[in-house]
Formats: sequence, structure tokens, C-alpha cells
Amino acid sequence: MRRIGFLINPVAGMGGSVGLKGTDGNVDEARRRGALPRAQERAAITLRLLSHLTDILFITCSGEMGASALRECGVPHFRVVYEYQGKSTAEDTKKAMAAILREGVDLILFCGGDGTARDVFQVAQRTVPLLGIPAGVKMYSAVFALDPATAAALLSGPYHLQDAEVLDIDEEAYRKGMLETHLSGIARVPGRAHMTQAAKQVFEEADEDRAKEEIARFLQEVMLPGVLYIIGAGTTTEAIARRLGIVKTLLGVDAIRDGILVASDADEKTLLDLAGRYPETRIILSPIGAQGFILGRGNQQISATVVRKAGLPNLIMVATPHKLRETPFLYVDSGDPALDREFGESIQVISGYRIAQRKKISRAS
Amino acid sequence: MQTKILLDEEQIPKKWYNVQADLPSPLDPPLHPVTHKPVGPDDLSAIFPMDLIRQEVTTDRYVDIPEEVRDVLRLWRPSPLYRAHRLEKFLKTPAKIYYKWEGVSPAGSHKTNTSIPQAYYNMKAGIERIATETGAGQWGSALAFATMLYDLECTIYMVRSSYTQKPYRKSMMHVWGAECIPSPSTKTNSGRAVLEKDPETPGALGIAISEAVEDAATHANTNYALGSVLNHVCLHQTVIGLECKEQLAMVDDYPDVVIGCVGGGSNFAGISFPFAGDKLTGKHKDTDLIGVEPASCPSLTKGLYTYDFGDVAGLTPLMKMFTLGHDFVPPAMHAGGLRYHGDSPIVSRLVHDGVMRAVAYHQSEVFEAAQTFARTEGIIVAPETSHAVKSAIDEALACKQTGENKTILFNCSGHGNFDMTAYDAFYSGELVDYEYPDELIKQAIGRIPKIS
Repeated sequence: MRRIGFLINPVAGMGGSVGLKGTDGNVDEARRRGALPRAQERAAITLRLLSHLTDILFITCSGEMGASALRECGVPHFRVVYEYQGKSTAEDTKKAMAAILREGVDLILFCGGDGTARDVFQVAQRTVPLLGIPAGVKMYSAVFALDPATAAALLSGPYHLQDAEVLDIDEEAYRKGMLETHLSGIARVPGRAHMTQAAKQVFEEADEDRAKEEIARFLQEVMLPGVLYIIGAGTTTEAIARRLGIVKTLLGVDAIRDGILVASDADEKTLLDLAGRYPETRIILSPIGAQGFILGRGNQQISATVVRKAGLPNLIMVATPHKLRETPFLYVDSGDPALDREFGESIQVISGYRIAQRKKISRAS
Repeated sequence: MQTKILLDEEQIPKKWYNVQADLPSPLDPPLHPVTHKPVGPDDLSAIFPMDLIRQEVTTDRYVDIPEEVRDVLRLWRPSPLYRAHRLEKFLKTPAKIYYKWEGVSPAGSHKTNTSIPQAYYNMKAGIERIATETGAGQWGSALAFATMLYDLECTIYMVRSSYTQKPYRKSMMHVWGAECIPSPSTKTNSGRAVLEKDPETPGALGIAISEAVEDAATHANTNYALGSVLNHVCLHQTVIGLECKEQLAMVDDYPDVVIGCVGGGSNFAGISFPFAGDKLTGKHKDTDLIGVEPASCPSLTKGLYTYDFGDVAGLTPLMKMFTLGHDFVPPAMHAGGLRYHGDSPIVSRLVHDGVMRAVAYHQSEVFEAAQTFARTEGIIVAPETSHAVKSAIDEALACKQTGENKTILFNCSGHGNFDMTAYDAFYSGELVDYEYPDELIKQAIGRIPKIS
């Protein structure tokens, strides 16, 4: 019997339809404006598609946080391990997660938006894989399935695990028209190899960790002495640092020169100071989030000014084949529209040992 | 409006053309992998018959094609030369586009032009069995057909992932009586060594080559055969260009541009060497000879011109050629036949000397071109061939810009009837545009482990 933790953020997505750009701390206002909960409906699409599977035991919460939807959709096996009182809040999400994890589960299926993903990840970390049913206002995090049906399809067959960034968006700032994101973690999510691809490719690229190793081996080979390397966040860039024998911050931006860590978790000012000190600066970056952002999400320390200082041709993009397969376009939103335009139509992304892919660029609107 | 230009069977060339005769200086010799001394005929006699070794090194301008070989070639040669009226009209180009259609051979590509003579010379030398490798199966099926005709046994080591995923090429080999073994196999030391380390390995062309060479070297009655790269293979393919010359003369034309796709280089060599000879001897100095490679494996456009091994394991002689390094494993794009780290030493030399040039394209743009070709001329070409189609279209579009009415000739080397999964991938948007990160590599070249 597979054990899947399941929870719904009942108020997720309510802010969207009434122009609140997010529901965090704003549920009452959303309700006042006439917003209707949609998370139940979204979750129900996934659950109905899974209801014929008799080998899954759902470990869940009471009422609108899980049990109601499971019951309604005719899911055969589920057990409630957390009861919430009154209105469900972010605190409830975290408490429910803790209760579910105590029971021991193979995966957490949750329904919500970026805020829910952040709360779920805060408790689960990388101990257990996550999968989001998208129901929120914003979904920058990469832990969400494309849609509720895809979530069900993923859980219906064999899957492998891959990394996915959890992005935290400052909703207060967002409502004022500013997008401030930071990378709050890198979760493990289920993914499926595209079986229609040539099998060779699936064989060769099936192993995400091996792909990172290959990228790291290549980058080590082409890193030049005396050059300052600014290394962005993520597990692919972390693999490069590890290969050099350097402990890198997973979520932060670090700087390396001649195989030595010269700055850890650096802010924009530190990066600019460093770049001013050395004759040449290069930036190694991996796209972040569900949309595959090159700049502007999760790596804000690497500002447009930092990129200009290094020079656009000195930007080295890296990403595993899996990640690239799931992001048909990459996005750039550096905050400097002129710089965004300089990227042109496409960009080279290193995806293996002496192997790169050319990816199309879309501008964030 | 003549569409097909056809030759009579008697006009199948009687001699192959050897461009080595017209090189201003001899080719750099292949070197022994251990001693680094030039390789002599004896070094090769363990796996090749003497006739082929002689053809490998000869500088005679013409080499006779045995009548027994010409008799077999009659099954599909002379192949038709087409004027691509419909493609020209679609492109609205003033250029004239001709294509030589090699897909009419029983195995569906130009590969039979060399598998037949190779099998023939081995048969004559008393060899009973040939071992070879095949990636996607074009060469394997062509050799299976040839060995059947001369009553030779044939063992083909087929890269395992292709073996399971491209079952129809394997079926063709079976129909023609060859034994097709997924590689790595338990039949050879090299295969067993790989399997021991990784029982689930998908295999690779480099491993399959090692298995076939080992098989040939350890069995007295068995020789090895290679489907591209080597001089004698390029020599056999010149029937393509020689026929084209005759066919174009029939319509009073001569190409300004000659195009072929390049993996190991033999199909490009086949169509272009007779025209390269005219260029080298000053008869037609301005012909533009273009080899087209994938951006993911761009040995001619991005590689180094140096000595390197022909295989991954470093068992073959060192050859002077454009190479990305014998340890480079090209990404798994659909034009499997173009996934080779090096290139024919003669093609390499001619590119190095500026007699020929090379261009590289990404996967999705060549499939786009292949679709255009299929929707105008009807033929669904192999993914390898689509590279040549793309270049021909680009040249024709350039003529539209300049108003020139150039004559463009390309080698339409094979059909894609067994490659429909690649077309499916194109239509579902799953094609990956691989490319070779040459800028980073160039800047760091001194730090990269030396080739050879």
C-alpha cells in the first residue's frame, strides 16, 4: 500500500478572481469581495482520477482540508490524522504537515498555491517528495503539476524524483506591483520521462544526478584561472561547486575564484564589489522555478547591474536535460527591460559534458 | 518540364574516382595507436582484405570497378537525378535545385554503394564472415544485404538502445540472413567488461566498434567492415558524383553548389569528390562544396584538425582529421548516423585546405526543412539527409535574395521510412536543439586533456 499525505489549503486561489493577487492574510477581504473557494474543485479533479487505485492510503486532515474531497470523490482508503478548528490557516497547514509526516508517507500531495507550497516545504523539507495540485493565485514554484489531471497521471505510473524550486513571494510587495521572490528551498518532486522521446535519450538522461555530474565535470574543465565566478542558487550549480571541493550555499549566491570560495551567500553589493576587484567576471546560473527564470526570480542578488558588470556573454547557463524538457521556454525578467532585450531570441544552456541545448527565450509580461 | 534525369544501366561508372590523385600533397598517413609510426598494410591485414587496403592508400586517379560489383549495382544504379521543380516553385527561388536520390537502393540509402564492393573483396580473399557495428541500422542493413549476395556470414553488433527501439532495421538484417546482436554482448571481452560494470547500459557506437573489431581480430575467417570515414569507403561512394556529372551534362548544366550531410563523411565524399577534383585541377575553380553537420556534433565547423583515434576505446590507428576528441560522446539526437566525433581524413583535409566548407544546423530547423521537402517533392528523407535538404533550401533562398540563378546539387542520401518516431517527436515539439558549447571549450583549450 502506498501512503500519500494529502492536504488542501481551502482558501487557496481565492484572492485571484477578486484582484487581490494572493490570499495570504487576506481571506476575509477576499470573501467580502465575493471570492469562492476553488481548491476543493481543483483537488477533486485529481482525486476522481485516482479513486480507482486501491493501493493508495491517503493520510489527511479533516473537512475542507482533505477528508471532504476524498469522501466526495469516492477514494476508498483514507485516514484523518489532523483536525482543524474554526477557519483553516497557514498554521494549520504546518501542523497538519507535521501530523502527516509523523505517520510516515511516501509523498505529499497538496492543493494550493505558492504560499501553500512554501508552508508545506517548511515542514517537509527534502525528507519526502512533494507534488502540488495548482489552485493558487500565483504558481512560480516548480513543485506544481501542470494541471490537476497531470498530477493524477504522475501518481498513476512509475516516476523518478527530480528537484524543484520552492519560491516565496512577498505578497505585500506583490500587491504594490513589485515582484520580490526568494528561493525558499528545493523540494523533491515526481517527474516522468517522456516516453515518446527516443529511448536512447531516456536511457542516457534518466539519471538526474549523473546529468549534474556531467555538467560539473564540463564546467570544471572550462573554468579559467584568475576569473571570478558568481554561482547562482540550485542543485546543479551546487554540484559544480562540490566538484571543485567547495561547500556552496544551496539557496544563496556564492563566488569562487581559482578554486577558492571568496564569498558565500553574497548580496548584490558584495557581488558588485568583487566584480570590480577582478578583471573578469563570469556568472554561472541555473533557471529557477516553474517557468524557468534565468534572472529575476530566486537569484535577485544577481541584479541587472551585476550582469552588466560581468557582460552578457559571460553568463553561463546550466540545467539538466529533465529540467529543460519541462521548460520549453526560458524567461528573463531582470528588472531592466533593455538588458532583457539584449538576451535575444535564444540562449545556450549547458546540459551535459560538452553538450548544450539552444533554448528559446520568452519575456515575462 | 523534365523532372527525372536517367542514365542507362551501361552508364554505371566503370571506375571509381580517387581524389587523392589530385591533392597538391599527399595525405598525412594514419599512425599506429601504440608506436605512433605510420601504419603499414600488414598492420591492417588482420581485419581488412588486401584489395581494400590497397584502395585505402592508392594515389591512382581511377580504380576499376569489378564487373561482378557493377552487376549488383544494376539493381538500383544508376540512381535518378531529380530536378526539384516543386521545391523551387515553393521557395520562389531563381536557383535550380537538383537532388541525387540514393534512397532507391534495397537498403534505402547510399550505404550499399560500399557494402557491395567491401563484401565482394572479402569474398575474393577467402573470408567467410564479416563483423561490423551499426548505430541506427543503416549500415548494418546495407552490409547484411551485401554479404547475403556473396554467401558470407555477417555478424552485426547493434547499439542496444537502437536494437530495442528501432526493430525494423534489425528485421531487415534478419531477412537478409545476418546475425544481429545487441551491443554490449557477452560474445566479446570488451562487451563483457562493459556489462560487468553496468548490466543496464544502453550501449554506444564506440563499444559496438570495439566488439566488432575484437570479433574480427580473434577469428581467422572473419574480417571487419566500416561504413564510412575510411578512404576506400569514400572511393566507393564516388559513383554518386560521377553519375551526377553525366546526368547534369545531359541537361547542359554543372553545379555551382554541391551539398551533402556529414557524419563520417562518405555520402558527402561520394557526391562531391568528382567536383572537388575539377576544382583542384582548375577546371571549375568556383564550385562551392558544402558539408552539413549537426550543431550537436560539429567536427568540421568546430573541431580541431589533428591526429585522433577513430573509436572511443583508442584501438584504431590515429588519423589526421577534424575531431571533437575521441572521448566525446555526442548527444542522442535523431540523426544517429551523424553522431561521429571525427570525419573522413580526406574530407577533413579538403575542408582544411579551403576546397570545401562546412555548415552546422540544429535539429528542429532540419526537420522543418525535411517537412518542406516532403510536402513539395514527396520524399520523406532520413534525419541525416534532412541536413543536406536544409542547406540546399538555405542556398536557394540566398539566391532569391541576390537574384542569382545558381545550380544547386545535393545528395538525397536515404529515406526516413523507419524514422517516423523522429518526425513524431518533431510534431509533438519534443525535439531538443542540442549544440556544442565551442566558445567555452575554445577559451579553455589549453586546459582540456590533450587529444591523442
